[in-house]
Amino acid sequence: MNTDIETDNLVKRYGNVTAVDGVSLRVAKGEIYAFLGLNGAGKTTTIRLLLGMAKPTSGEARVLGARIRIGERKQWDSVGYLVETADAYPELTVRENLETMRRLRPGTAPQAVDRIIERLDLGAFADRCAGTLSHGNAQRLGLAKALFHNPALVILDEPASGLDPAGIVEIRNLLTELARDQGVTVFMSSHILGEVSRLAHRIGIIHHGRLLQELDMEELDRNRRRRLLLRTTNDTAARALLVGMGFSTDITSDGTIAVKDCMAIERPDDIATRLVNAGHAPTMLYVEEENLEHYFLRLVGVEEGNAN
Amino acid sequence: MPLFTALGFAMVPLGGGFFMIVLKDPDMARRVGLISTKAQLTMGAADWPTYLRFLTMAIGAGGIILFGLVAAWVFGREYSDRTAKDLLALPTSRSAIVLSKCVVIAVWSAALTVVICLITLCVGAALGLPPAAPQVFWQSGITIMVAVCLTISLTTPIAFAASAWRGYLPPIAVMILAMVVAQLTTAAGWGEYFPWAIPALFVQGEKLGAISYAIVVLTGIIGLAGTILWWELADQTR
Repeated sequence: MNTDIETDNLVKRYGNVTAVDGVSLRVAKGEIYAFLGLNGAGKTTTIRLLLGMAKPTSGEARVLGARIRIGERKQWDSVGYLVETADAYPELTVRENLETMRRLRPGTAPQAVDRIIERLDLGAFADRCAGTLSHGNAQRLGLAKALFHNPALVILDEPASGLDPAGIVEIRNLLTELARDQGVTVFMSSHILGEVSRLAHRIGIIHHGRLLQELDMEELDRNRRRRLLLRTTNDTAARALLVGMGFSTDITSDGTIAVKDCMAIERPDDIATRLVNAGHAPTMLYVEEENLEHYFLRLVGVEEGNAN
Repeated sequence: MPLFTALGFAMVPLGGGFFMIVLKDPDMARRVGLISTKAQLTMGAADWPTYLRFLTMAIGAGGIILFGLVAAWVFGREYSDRTAKDLLALPTSRSAIVLSKCVVIAVWSAALTVVICLITLCVGAALGLPPAAPQVFWQSGITIMVAVCLTISLTTPIAFAASAWRGYLPPIAVMILAMVVAQLTTAAGWGEYFPWAIPALFVQGEKLGAISYAIVVLTGIIGLAGTILWWELADQTR
């Protein structure tokens, strides 16, 4: 695999606190990799380690083929990033902030500033002081600073934070286009799991500093819990019939019958036929797939709002 | 911030000009209420040597505070505005960024000094102070230049404090501490060995040995090296 990010048993401790605990991950070139975790799981610390802002206690990280170490900066020319919050010099305008960053990246064409202003729809705010921007527009400015120099790799910490629904869709389309049309690699942390499931090619789940799982979307599909939900004209009798057929059943909080057996999930038509023949015709029959949010919460041991 | 520091420093020649007006005719100043009848006027005469001495003394003592504020702001604002992280993974090295900031502090401090010297000359001319020999101006100019160079050297530890404690309030606290210790060491007779006491002693015309100048330069170098090493090596968590 041609990797743009590679970490090998990365560990970061602050005193007795282990923020990152043996994380080994690979991000392929041109891939959109979503890094998921609860607050304090170690996402931002991992991102800081990848960007050389903190030294690992042990292990190592490679970005664009170069090992991250003191004084090594050749890879930063091709990396754009947004860490934690999108901040800017408040008394400088949007354009001046971008121009400042352009000068810190020698070789970037002056037109790059105008291009990114247009692309991120910041034209109306270009001459406004950054300190007066709304949270959403400040986030756009943060993204503009990460993207204006056409990087080969972008590392984004919560890129959709503070954006309205239209802004979230816009950023999703932008990142998808970057990966699809320009082969840009995207490594992003996010809390907006609905967006992640639409955007990411691969997902890494971190919890208490440990990388619990890395999986692509096909693996996620295979790992998701599915169940058959049904209601009938006589739920009590229908449930007894299903148990008699050898299925294990549950009742959900709203009184719906839930069946988790593979046979039932794969052949709901057979179940429907048997219920109709028994005189308990289904009024609702639905195969429910666990979404990414539930899958994530189940994996990290937090379900129904209860921490494990 | 540039405007506030310029306004703050401009108070020096304007304050000096006020005293020149008072010294020219103390009775008139008392009559019109410029000063209290109890005012003790021991500053000297209303002439260029007195006015320039006031200026050099003010720069020697006040420069540390004002230039220190500039250094605290140039470095500390990156942390209080949370923009430091945007400077850490760039093709431009962190050392170059630290050096650039130190150059800005030096140029800014020197420019403030030039501005107040020009204001002093204008105010003195407007007040019609009696002409003085050119040597008076040259001597004051050289004293101010050396004092400003010494004071600028002492801004690097302030830059380090701003970086290490991530903000602009801690370096201001460090600066105040340095000023207090400078007063104590001067009172105890050891001021020539304490970096932050040396510029004030220099403008007062104290005979300082080479060791005093070496202490200031060394303090500046240690502060600069410490700041660069901090930016290059320390974990940056803000």
